[in-house]
Amino acid sequence: MVLKKIKDNLFFFIIILAYAIMTTINPSMGIESVKNSGYYIKEMLMIMPVIFVLTALLDMWVSKEKIMKFLGKDAKAKGVFLAFVIGSISAGPIYAAFPMCVMLHKKGASIRNIIIILSSWAVIKVPMLLNEAKFLGPKFMVIRWILTVVAIIIFSWIADKIIKDKDLPSEETSQVGLIINKGACMGCTLCTKNYPELFEIKSKKAVIKAHDATTIDKEKLQTTINACPVKAIEYIED
Amino acid sequence: MDIFTIGIWIGTLIFLGVSFAKNKGKTNQALKMAFNMGKGMAISIFSIIFAIGLILTLLPPADIASFVEKQSTAIATIASALLGTITLIPAFIAFPLVGTLVDAGVGIVPSVAFLTTLTMVGVVTFPLEKKEFGVKFTAVRNGLSFLFAIIIAYVMGVII
Repeated sequence: MVLKKIKDNLFFFIIILAYAIMTTINPSMGIESVKNSGYYIKEMLMIMPVIFVLTALLDMWVSKEKIMKFLGKDAKAKGVFLAFVIGSISAGPIYAAFPMCVMLHKKGASIRNIIIILSSWAVIKVPMLLNEAKFLGPKFMVIRWILTVVAIIIFSWIADKIIKDKDLPSEETSQVGLIINKGACMGCTLCTKNYPELFEIKSKKAVIKAHDATTIDKEKLQTTINACPVKAIEYIED
Repeated sequence: MDIFTIGIWIGTLIFLGVSFAKNKGKTNQALKMAFNMGKGMAISIFSIIFAIGLILTLLPPADIASFVEKQSTAIATIASALLGTITLIPAFIAFPLVGTLVDAGVGIVPSVAFLTTLTMVGVVTFPLEKKEFGVKFTAVRNGLSFLFAIIIAYVMGVII
């Protein structure tokens, strides 16, 4: 149990160990490090709660289902624009974007639009713009933002020329039933709230409870699937 | 608090108020999701911050600045961009960190290159991305992002 905890948070324990060693050798440097960290923690606590709330609200109110229809190969400028919108309003860390983009590709989104979503997910989150302006100045933020958008438009076009649809791994498993993509789940607990009989959280990830497949309430399940912010739940009927 | 932080707080509170008035259940869901997202990321965020605190004690920003100054812009920029590729860190930690470096006197071009690769290119997340998208997609996306990080940095250096 303890070992598993250490393994899950290996980086955290390495840092604690590094602090312990440093403070033993040179106490003043240890204090200095804590002071340095304190500055970032203070800055983070002032901005992080509000950023999380804002991203969650955007995620909740802007319907991704509606946008997804316009991401195919035929949708030129509109698709590009909407890909930027999805990336900039979505909640969660970048690795949460990977499985969602795979799902979008399966539903017909072009390689170009997937690259745009991933890139804008990383750098041009709307709530982050104010944060950038604060630390680096509004002029810096505006110029970097414009340049980054232009760069993403250009390199997503280049990438689209190099990568073909067949280069992406195709689904080899034709598993039926209810599946949760563990890599995508960020433990937001929305599924356990929407359908507590079917989902539970175990070590910060959603898992499916033992259930009788015939008793699944399809409607309730569909609501739950739609509510998942990273689209990590999949249900294939047999 | 500074004007930007106050601005984002006020904006969010207004949004939250409107959201509550329109749909209480949906808003509660959003708040719960925000809370759990924060909880899920807390340990890794604190780890990154304490790691930064440690690194900045061993390598004070002023020393980094004077070291970078001695290098040619091209070398400094490519080196900063490479350093940024090691891992993906959340943007709200990346901004204050790069702010510290710029204030200490590190040039705009290397700083921007570092900032862009820090948030867009990740060697640590490469296996995860490869698993989902395949080698070619992952290599091309990270490669092009790296290249354009340097281009963005240079153009910013010219404008600012």
